[in-house]
Amino acid sequence: MGRSARGALWIAALIFSSTLLAQEARIAVLNPRGTQPPIRLIPMAPRLDTLDGKTIYIVNVAFGDTFLPETLKVLAQRYPKTNWVFKRKIGSYFDDDPKLWAEIKEKGHGMIMGVGH
Amino acid sequence: MITQRFEELVKTIAYKKGMPNQRFVFVPHPVAGRSPELCHRYMEGNDPVTKKPIVEEFLAALTKPLNPEDKKTGFLQRPPRPRLIEPDTAENLQRLFAKNGWTDGIPIVLPTEERVAMMMKSTSRKPDEIVGTMRPSPPHEAWEFTVEMVAANAVMAGAKPEYIPVILALASTGVTSLFSSTTSFARMVVVNGPIQEQISMNSGLGAMGPFNEANATIGRAWTLISKNLGGGGTPGETYLGSQGNNLNYNNICFAEREDALPSGWNPLHVQKGHKAGESYVSTFTGWSLINYGGFALPHHQFIKRMLTGLLASGTGSGSQATLLLDPITARDLRNDEGFDTKEKLSDWLMKNGTSPAQQYWARHSDELKKGKEGIEPFASWLKYPEEAFIPVSSFRPETPIEIIVVGGETNAFLMAGDFRYVSGASVDKWR
Repeated sequence: MGRSARGALWIAALIFSSTLLAQEARIAVLNPRGTQPPIRLIPMAPRLDTLDGKTIYIVNVAFGDTFLPETLKVLAQRYPKTNWVFKRKIGSYFDDDPKLWAEIKEKGHGMIMGVGH
Repeated sequence: MITQRFEELVKTIAYKKGMPNQRFVFVPHPVAGRSPELCHRYMEGNDPVTKKPIVEEFLAALTKPLNPEDKKTGFLQRPPRPRLIEPDTAENLQRLFAKNGWTDGIPIVLPTEERVAMMMKSTSRKPDEIVGTMRPSPPHEAWEFTVEMVAANAVMAGAKPEYIPVILALASTGVTSLFSSTTSFARMVVVNGPIQEQISMNSGLGAMGPFNEANATIGRAWTLISKNLGGGGTPGETYLGSQGNNLNYNNICFAEREDALPSGWNPLHVQKGHKAGESYVSTFTGWSLINYGGFALPHHQFIKRMLTGLLASGTGSGSQATLLLDPITARDLRNDEGFDTKEKLSDWLMKNGTSPAQQYWARHSDELKKGKEGIEPFASWLKYPEEAFIPVSSFRPETPIEIIVVGGETNAFLMAGDFRYVSGASVDKWR
């Protein structure tokens, strides 16, 4: 084998091994994500068999001033045998209103809550 | 009942709160401030998500019987969290991190085991030690994270190992830099104490610009931590800022110019009750900054107008103000205008501040009631037109107007922003 042929072979081998190295340069990195907490399931409240004769609260949680009164009108017209009660939760989105929840548990059969804007 | 825009958010929250099948009725977005006639039409129309009549959707939500899945108790399995990502090429890993939303949209330094181990050499804390928890906002779940997880994110941000005590302290506050609200919050990081010099932070010329590795990467690390360890930063689910905030890339991270504080003016961390020799990191929340060149004196009168302007623009309403003063401005205020402490300037601005009448009454219902009952001075103020100014500051009286000195003394500049102090942490505890 001549000198030039040996040189060509050497270059080819170099290219081949470099390509292999590039293909095989797989690296392991750490997972950057934190640990999520477990989720405790909460069973949903039993549903009603009918709305007739039932008391349903409509609760406003910063849902504007105009939408829920119209909700009340439309639902009262469609379901006239239902007692619809309109309430506004105190404070902002983040504030609790235990008095209102207690009232709904005592006097209500269901609740529609409007949240957002 | 939710407006259509928040479908992803409420379904995610219901899942995380343990009621994955919670029933929702959706209405068009937004509803606030819309006319009763339009709201009435919405109510008689279809749910924009299910395409069924809204009224029937209410009936179904209240009366459709539950299935066994709805009644389940116990725990939901979360996806497992492997410590290492499956090995791949650097290029593919960069793509994977970006695709999964684990970056800030800018290429990151891949957190190899070697790099993360090197990062942790600058803290005495163990890799598996819990640093804290973080959540995007109160309704969301909090995620927990360790020293090693923080170090991985610090590597990703391009931080040097010597920065890790500051980054750990910042993470330990549990304050997210990506607060989930529709109002696009920004955050600010201020570093005080000997650590400033030890890691060569910039408090001088261009301190808030892209000129210093420590300022740049510590601020960036906080955002990556907030996304990856604080469970936030997924638009629609855990981030709701309508327009977003460019300040979130770096969170205005800088060191206070302690060497240029006028005589009698204490560094921020000393104001908060810590020793001057302690290294400390403080966090602020707000939205924006406005800039002023103090070519006309006195500064304090112009600052007063700036703060009234913040309130008038609506951005400062319900928040607090923070001043970032160049040392020249601070010295003028100290030597020529008589404010020999930061607190005196802060108090003067609170006592002499003014508020647009419309906003004042919107935020002061008790005073409005007194005014309507004829009680002075509220009764007189009620006679002012809406565009007039009430001689009372509407910034929160329970927290001070914060004052921080930063800058390179090329001119008598200052910035004022609707930022307030949130919390801080000792850096020394994380060395």
